[in-house]
Amino acid sequence: MSHDVATFARLPGMNGERAAAVAAQAARRGTVVLTRNDARFPIPDGIPHAPAVLLLEGDRPEVLRAPRVAVVGTRAASVHGLADAWELGAFLGAAGVSVVSGLAIGIDGAVHHGALQAAEVAGHDAAGVVAGPIGVVATGLDVVYPRRHRVLFERVRKYGVLVGEQPFGVQPERGRFPVRNRIIAALADVVVVVEATLKGGSRITAERALDYGRPVLAIPGSRRNPAAAGCNALLADGAQPLLDPSDVLVALGLTPGGERVWRTAPKPGRGPKPSANAVAVLKALGGEAAHPDQLAGRTGLDPGEVALAVEELVALRQATRDRGFVWPA
Amino acid sequence: MLASVRSAMLFGVEGLVLDVEVHVSTGIPSYTFVGLPDAAVRESRDRVRAALLSSGLTWPLRRVTVNLAPSGVRKSGPGLDLPFALGLMMAGEELPAGVLDGVGVIGELGLDGSLRPVPGVLAMTDVLRRSGATAVLVPAPNASEAALVGGVRVLAATSLRQIRYALKGEGDWAPPVPECETGEGSAKGDDDPGPDLAVVRGLATGRRALEVAAAGGHHLLMVRRPGAGKTLLARCLPSILAPLDPDEALEVTRIHSAAGQPIGGRLVAARPFRAPHHTASAAALVGGGSGRPRPGEVTLAHRGTLFMDELGEFAPTVLDALRQPLEDRVVRISRQAAAVTFPADFLLIAASNPCPCGLGPPDCVCSEANRARYRRRLSAPLIDRFDVRVALGVAAPGAPVGAASAEVRGRVAEAMARQRSRYRQWRWRRNARVPAGALSRAIPLDSAASDALREVAERRGWSGRGMAAVHRVARTLADLDAESAVTPAHILLAAGMREDVL
Repeated sequence: MSHDVATFARLPGMNGERAAAVAAQAARRGTVVLTRNDARFPIPDGIPHAPAVLLLEGDRPEVLRAPRVAVVGTRAASVHGLADAWELGAFLGAAGVSVVSGLAIGIDGAVHHGALQAAEVAGHDAAGVVAGPIGVVATGLDVVYPRRHRVLFERVRKYGVLVGEQPFGVQPERGRFPVRNRIIAALADVVVVVEATLKGGSRITAERALDYGRPVLAIPGSRRNPAAAGCNALLADGAQPLLDPSDVLVALGLTPGGERVWRTAPKPGRGPKPSANAVAVLKALGGEAAHPDQLAGRTGLDPGEVALAVEELVALRQATRDRGFVWPA
Repeated sequence: MLASVRSAMLFGVEGLVLDVEVHVSTGIPSYTFVGLPDAAVRESRDRVRAALLSSGLTWPLRRVTVNLAPSGVRKSGPGLDLPFALGLMMAGEELPAGVLDGVGVIGELGLDGSLRPVPGVLAMTDVLRRSGATAVLVPAPNASEAALVGGVRVLAATSLRQIRYALKGEGDWAPPVPECETGEGSAKGDDDPGPDLAVVRGLATGRRALEVAAAGGHHLLMVRRPGAGKTLLARCLPSILAPLDPDEALEVTRIHSAAGQPIGGRLVAARPFRAPHHTASAAALVGGGSGRPRPGEVTLAHRGTLFMDELGEFAPTVLDALRQPLEDRVVRISRQAAAVTFPADFLLIAASNPCPCGLGPPDCVCSEANRARYRRRLSAPLIDRFDVRVALGVAAPGAPVGAASAEVRGRVAEAMARQRSRYRQWRWRRNARVPAGALSRAIPLDSAASDALREVAERRGWSGRGMAAVHRVARTLADLDAESAVTPAHILLAAGMREDVL
C-alpha cells in the first residue's frame, strides 16, 4: 500500500495539489490504495479501461480473495425480483462467494442485504470465512449515495469492503454510474442480472462482462414484467438462464451441479393448510401479480371472500402485497 | 333628529346584528361615517344620495352623522345601503317614526333607487330573528331565501320608492320572486345527484370502498392509472348519500348563501359535492383572503363531500393547509381585523395516480427514486388521514355492472341509522369520528376480533393510528352487514382496505 502523492495523482481529475490533500485524507481514513502493480490488485491484467488505482475501505478487504459474483439489476424491481436478489445474495454468501454489486436502490440493495445476512450468520464461527459483500461506488468513498442506504453502507463496511476509483468528495453524477459498472464487471468472475429494464445500467454491466469474457447469467421473467425485459433480451442474445442459485456455482466451476435450491411451487407441508378459497386464489394468481378484482373474476368468489383469502395467504407467507396488488410469494 | 334602523352583516358565514344610527342636525352641511366602516360601506354615501334623489327624495343639506353599532367590529359589505337610506328618511321625517320597529333591514341600492340582492340573507335573517326582529325587509330577489328561516315576516321590495309607499300604508310590498330560474342556480340542489353506480362496470374493490366511506364517514383515497374510473366512482358518491336532514339543510344553505353561491331561494337538499381543481390556492381551499375572510371549498363542502382529483398535483402548501380542518372539522382564520371560524365537516375523497408513469403495479417502469419523489408530494401525515386507501382494479370490457345507487343508498342509510342509535349518548354520530381514546368503549371487540386486529397490525408493522383506523372501518363494515358485533373477518377486510397504495 502506498500513500505517496504520485499514486493519488493517477486518480481521475487530479492535479498535484489536490493529490496531496487526498493522500493526506486517505492516510487519515486508513483507506487502502491499490495500484495495478500491487499483487493484491483485484482486477486481472489485460482488462481494457481498467482503473489505474482502486481505493478500498472496510473492515474485511480479504473478501476480495473469495470467488466473486456480481449480482445487478434495476432500481425499479418487482416484488419477485427483490425476493430473488435477496435469496441469491444469501445463498452465495453462505456458499463462500463474495457478492459484488452497486449499492443502489432495488436489486443491488436486496442482494447486498441477502449477502449481509449470510455474513452475519457466518461471522460468529468462522475464522476461515472470507466471503462478504463488495460494494462498488460511483462517488468518493466518503459520500453515501443513495442516502437511504446509509445503514447498508455501514454494514457493508463492517462485513466486507467498499471499492471506488474516485477521489474523496466526488458527488453522484449521471455519467459516473455506467463508468462504475465496468469495475463491477471487471471485479466479477460471473455476472448475474436479476431483473433489468431494456435500457438500464444493468445492460451496460452485462455488456462489459461479455467484453471481458465473463459468463453472464440472467433470470428469465414474464414478458408482461417490464422489469424483466432486459433479462429476456440478454437471454435472447445468448446469456445463460439462471434457474437456480446453484447455476452460479456451476458457472464459477465450483461444482458440477448440485442440489436444486429454488422450487417453482410453494414449499408444502409447512404451517397450517390454506383454506379452499385461499388455494383457489393462489391458483388464480398463476405466478403473477393480480388485483383482487381480477382474482374475484377468475375464481368466481365474491370480493369479500377474495380479500379474506388474500389476508390468509399473506399471513401464511404464500403471497405478498404491493400497492394494492397481490403477488405469489 | 335621530333614527335607528336594525340591520345585519356577514361575519364569516354567520350573521351579526348591527344598528345603523343616523343623526341629522343643523350646521354646515357635512357627512361623517363612524363605526369602523370598510370601503364598500363608506361608498354607500354616494349610492344612497343618488338613490334618494332618483326616488324623488332629497339629501338633507345638514350635518349628517352615521354610526354603526357595535362600533368595535369592522363593518363590511353592501347590504347596509338600505338601512342607511331608511334611517336618513326617518331622521328627515320622510317616514313616520317607529314604522321600522321590530323590522330588520338588509339591501343594496342602485343609483336609480332600485334594490339589489345581497349574499348571506339567510344567515342575516336568522340572526335578526334571534335578536327579536319580527319582520325583515329585503330586496325582492332575496325574499324566498329569507322566508326559509321561518317565524319571521318577510317584506320584499324592488325599489326605495315602493318601500316608502308601503311603509306609509299607501302601497303594497312586492311579491317574492325566485332568484334565478335558469343557469347554475337550478343545477344545484337535488336535481343533479351525479352519475348512478349502475353505469360502473367492475371495480368491485372501489365500489365497496366508496360504500364504506359513505356509510362511516371515512376519508377515502383511490389510486389507479388514468382512466381506470376513479373520477367516475367519486362522482357517483352523491347518489348513495342520504339527503341532508332539515337542520343540516338550513346550516348548509346558510353557508352557501353567505359564500355568495346561488341557492335559488330553496334549501339545499342534496349533500354538497365540491371538486376544486388542483390549481386551487390554499385560500381557495380552506378559506381566507385579505380583509374579510371568505369561506373556502372545505366550508362549501360542509356536511358533504370534498373530491380532490389528482391529489398529488395540488401544491404541497395547499395540502398542508388541509390537515388542520381535517383534524378539527372547522377552519380558523385569524386576521388583523378579526378571527373567524368556518365549519368544515366534510368527507374527503381523493384520487391519485400510483406513480409518475401512471401505470402502477405490475406494469410500472418508474425507478424507486422517482416513485419516492412522487410519494413525497403527499406527506405521510396527510396519507394517514385516509382510513380507506385502495388501488382500483382494471375494469375488464365485459365486466358486469354492479348494484345501482338506490340499493347501495339503502344499505348506507341503514348503516348510518345504526351508528346514530349506537352513539346516542356520545358527542359523535359516525364511526369515523370515534376518538382513538374512546374506541375500546364505543366499539368493543370480542377476544377473537381483537386478536385478529393485533395480528394484522403486527404483520403490517402498524402504529396506533393504523390500528384505530382499521378498528373504525371494521365497525362500518359490520354496520353495513347489519351485524351487532365486529367479527375477525371484518377486521381482516378493513385491513385489506388500508393498503400502502403509493
